[in-house]
Amino acid sequence: MNTDNNIYTIVYTTIVVVLVAAVLALVSQKLGPMQAANEKAETISQILTAAGFGDKNHWQEQGNAATLKFYRENIESSDLYDTTGGYVGALDFSRCEIYSTSELKAQDYAIRGKGGMPVLPVYRFSNGKVVIPVYGAGLWGPIWGYIALEEDLRTIAGAYFDHASETPGLGGKIKDDPAFRGQFAGRSIDFTDKSAPFHIVKGGAPEGKANAIDAITGATMTSRGLDAAITTWLNAYGKSLEVKEAPADSASVSNTTEEEQLWEN
Amino acid sequence: MGKLKETILTPILKGNPITVLVLGICSSLAVTVELKGALVMALSVTIVTGLSSFICSIIRNTIPNRVRIIVQLVVVALMVILVDQFLKAFEATYAIDKSLSVYIGLIITNCIVMGRIEAYALGNKPLPSLLDGLANGVGYGSILLIVAFFRELLGSGTLFGFKVIPQALYDAGYVNNGLVILPPFALILLGCIIWVHRSLDKTLQEK
Repeated sequence: MNTDNNIYTIVYTTIVVVLVAAVLALVSQKLGPMQAANEKAETISQILTAAGFGDKNHWQEQGNAATLKFYRENIESSDLYDTTGGYVGALDFSRCEIYSTSELKAQDYAIRGKGGMPVLPVYRFSNGKVVIPVYGAGLWGPIWGYIALEEDLRTIAGAYFDHASETPGLGGKIKDDPAFRGQFAGRSIDFTDKSAPFHIVKGGAPEGKANAIDAITGATMTSRGLDAAITTWLNAYGKSLEVKEAPADSASVSNTTEEEQLWEN
Repeated sequence: MGKLKETILTPILKGNPITVLVLGICSSLAVTVELKGALVMALSVTIVTGLSSFICSIIRNTIPNRVRIIVQLVVVALMVILVDQFLKAFEATYAIDKSLSVYIGLIITNCIVMGRIEAYALGNKPLPSLLDGLANGVGYGSILLIVAFFRELLGSGTLFGFKVIPQALYDAGYVNNGLVILPPFALILLGCIIWVHRSLDKTLQEK
């Protein structure tokens, strides 16, 4: 048979591509639920790591079931707010319901005003830490992470970041370099700062600036992307972080509203 | 029988893809910090080279010559994506798959895979092609494991994550070597392995 014939070539490649696509679709459908379970445990372990419950390797050793169990036992509330600080609903933490990375993507889209109303999750843990996610674009693909705040909702307690395809050893350091992550602890977010509530500064954070950390050398675009992601998300959270903060003159009043809110949930 | 033995042994020793053909260097530098990652990578590459050589050999007489490379690439990509999907689905391999990040996907561009299909599978029967692919994967993987053994031992003091260097040694002032963790050291180590290999097998030395 003449395999160099044009028609033969077109028909042949079409059949090959359709076959391959069918196999991939089938496998993806069969393995999807298992992958989703792994991804969920991974996300929860990232949230727990940010909140200061052991480091990431610890959760990896514990395995999925133990990680989920620990989450259920230590979460106090996982509520959803809109950008005006209004309470929208709650995630069912008895079922370990969380916002996965794919849902963060949709929220990021909404925050940037490209459709829909963003619904922002706030995870509150028994150790007083409040964890919020951030999501944005790195150099090669999406980057995301979790920032844990102390009870005052201004001091950062810890952070954990992950990425889809940043360069290992450069942009990948947002995840792999504990020294980078470590910079976040003890820093603060400052909504009175005109330019942004938090900064990642190329060339080093200025001395005495509490709401800034050093960028990663050799990973300018990833650092910039993370900086933009944190700014975007903190601003979106701005109102919900303020609402729950007790103003100095009416501390008792807002405390009760916060308590009521917790009871309602 | 002798030919079959040759098919299996050549890629592991005399025609080792890394030390003799110097293919697949990039990933062998990148994923050899830990034995666990290197082992998963070695197995993945072995499966991918074996199965894609096998499939390409089965369809070798039907492939239109003008789109030969594209068809091969589709087969290789299918295998790589399947391996990646399976690694992601199991709890035990999920974390390793994450730590190998882009390198699993980059098996597609590993010269060994396409090289073996072009050089062997397209001209031979399916079964020898399968063995050739698997043997090349093993040849690649064995070097990966040797490099990873030294890098994990000297760089982290562990093997497969287990501590092997006693605490007493650390107390006496021993420290893990940070240089070993970095990719340049993998290249130095690879150079040493090639040196040892060539001095053992004189036929490999150039005049």
